[in-house]
Amino acid sequence: MSEPGLNPDQVSGAVADRIAGVVLLLMAVGAWWYSHAFPAGFGQVVGPGAFPRLVSVPMGLFAAYLVIRPGVNQRWPQRAALLRQGAALLLLGIYAGFLKPLGFLPASLICVVLLIRLFGATWRASLACGALLTVSLYLLFEFALGMPLPNMPGLDW
Amino acid sequence: MDILAFLAQGFAVALEPQHLLLALVGCAVGTLIGALPGLGPVNGVALMIPLTFNFGLTPTAALILLVSIYYGCMYGGRISSILLNIPGDEPAVMTTLDGYPMALKGRGGEALGLSGVASFVGATVATIGLTLFAPLLVGFAIRFGPAEYFALFVLAFATIGGVTSGSLVKSFLAACLGLLLGTVGIDSVSSVPRYTFGWYELYDGIDFIVALVGLFAISECLIFLEDTRGSNKPTLKVGSAIPGIRSAGKCAPTIGRSSFIGFVAGVLPGAGAALGSFLSYTLERRWLGRRGTFGQGDPRGVAAPEAGNNAAAGGALIPMLSLGIPGSGTTAILLALLLSMNITPGPLLFAQQPEMVWGLVAALFIGNVMLLVLNIPLVGLFAKVLQAPGWFLMPMVVMVAFVGVYSLGNSAFDLYMMLAFGVLGYVLRKLEMPAVPVVLGLLLGGQMEYNLRRAMSISGGDWSILWNSGITIGIYAFAIALIVAGLVYSWMIRQRL
Repeated sequence: MSEPGLNPDQVSGAVADRIAGVVLLLMAVGAWWYSHAFPAGFGQVVGPGAFPRLVSVPMGLFAAYLVIRPGVNQRWPQRAALLRQGAALLLLGIYAGFLKPLGFLPASLICVVLLIRLFGATWRASLACGALLTVSLYLLFEFALGMPLPNMPGLDW
Repeated sequence: MDILAFLAQGFAVALEPQHLLLALVGCAVGTLIGALPGLGPVNGVALMIPLTFNFGLTPTAALILLVSIYYGCMYGGRISSILLNIPGDEPAVMTTLDGYPMALKGRGGEALGLSGVASFVGATVATIGLTLFAPLLVGFAIRFGPAEYFALFVLAFATIGGVTSGSLVKSFLAACLGLLLGTVGIDSVSSVPRYTFGWYELYDGIDFIVALVGLFAISECLIFLEDTRGSNKPTLKVGSAIPGIRSAGKCAPTIGRSSFIGFVAGVLPGAGAALGSFLSYTLERRWLGRRGTFGQGDPRGVAAPEAGNNAAAGGALIPMLSLGIPGSGTTAILLALLLSMNITPGPLLFAQQPEMVWGLVAALFIGNVMLLVLNIPLVGLFAKVLQAPGWFLMPMVVMVAFVGVYSLGNSAFDLYMMLAFGVLGYVLRKLEMPAVPVVLGLLLGGQMEYNLRRAMSISGGDWSILWNSGITIGIYAFAIALIVAGLVYSWMIRQRL
């Protein structure tokens, strides 16, 4: 449950909530301002800008409230955790880019092994489980479920 | 009786071999996902949606599969709550209160068997309720025009998460954010690109399946990365689940009361399963008072929240199917699936596609029986999943998410979008801002805007059409009442601390 004060993992959100409030407030103001640039179609009673404006008003008000009266947050991650998360995102971003050019099997193998390692397994376990996971996912998706995955370049079967 | 005829027709649909098989697969997969520590039903169903899309199933079949997964997850969630004291989602929290103490005393198997029976009764009561009440709501909703639908969407946003989550302001903000993100892309009425900033990939708008998988599955992995040392708890002995059936007999009054309470809580828009299990547990505790040993492993403390939570899960399908308003996070995701298959839940659904609705209802009855049969003898097998280490499970979740999303459009852009939503979901979780309203906004925004514009063109630009009928006023009043109830509820909880 998320009742305030019940959870030992909760911290004051005074800083983070205010930052989030300011960002969302800026988004609301930006959305309002930008919505005037949408040309209204001929004969439309309500143009394309009306609904975004209608949403940005309460959004701005709630965001401003959050800046004035911030609530509680979950505990934010430590530096080591942030590094791991950043590394994982970087790895997955690279994987997303290389999935097509490299093909599913090689790209996934490299990504999964590194990912399992990042999640705290030993190298040996990473290699074994990574290979197992990649191959079984490939077999499952390509053959059992019939979802085509990108093949290795030059290898079409 | 009409309903019985429809239901018979529904059973004919649900008993088709393909549908039966899908229900069985869904129940088993759902139980497994639900049992995974930390991966709750919302994440599980979110993860399975892109895969379901790629099977090329008919909408009826896909819906049966996903709803079976949904029910299965609710069943499976209790396994990690009882044996590891790790609730998979909010409604499962109450089960840990007495379930884990029971497991510590070596009565884990009994607790699992008992909760299995309680879940079954709760879910069955809810499904019967769904059969009886959903058509009534439809008869009422058939008179809805665009202004009434717009009011209904306002009700959905005013209530989602408002009753159980911590901060009302934060869930409203999340809903606004979702609605705003939902306007990205080419406007369907005027063909004007909105907030695309020249990126042609955004012209189709933000695919909410991509957003969904990112917000739930990817953010879950980021949470897990915070602490990879892993707190592998000693696995408790499970034992036989058979004694649970006997103790279920002793808890019968508790199960009955809790199923009813849970069902009512589930039907209320925005309340959902968390309120169902919370109310059932606290009321039962109050009702029995000192005659129970609540908190120290009282079987009734396991039966009450499990019956309540499963009854609420079924009850939440009523507003979702008949009005198009989801009653819980998971039903919001099921709604996402329906809308993306061009099925708009609502009164017309019952009129136009009765075979689908009633097939689904029948599939729920069948799925419940399957789950009970799967769960009593095989619970030890499912409990094995708990021993799988997180460093293996989480990369697997990431890979399934990647493959599922990639296969939607074969585009790396979708994958980047998913990662971005993963980060957003993570930040939202740290801010204690619920992610479900974001998905809901993304999902319902288009319909909401469409109904607004239709209403306005009917009235010729007169905004008062939005609150001019008795039904709209009733809906707005109901929304306000629910918000007030939510405020009172959170105030009461704060007083108890």
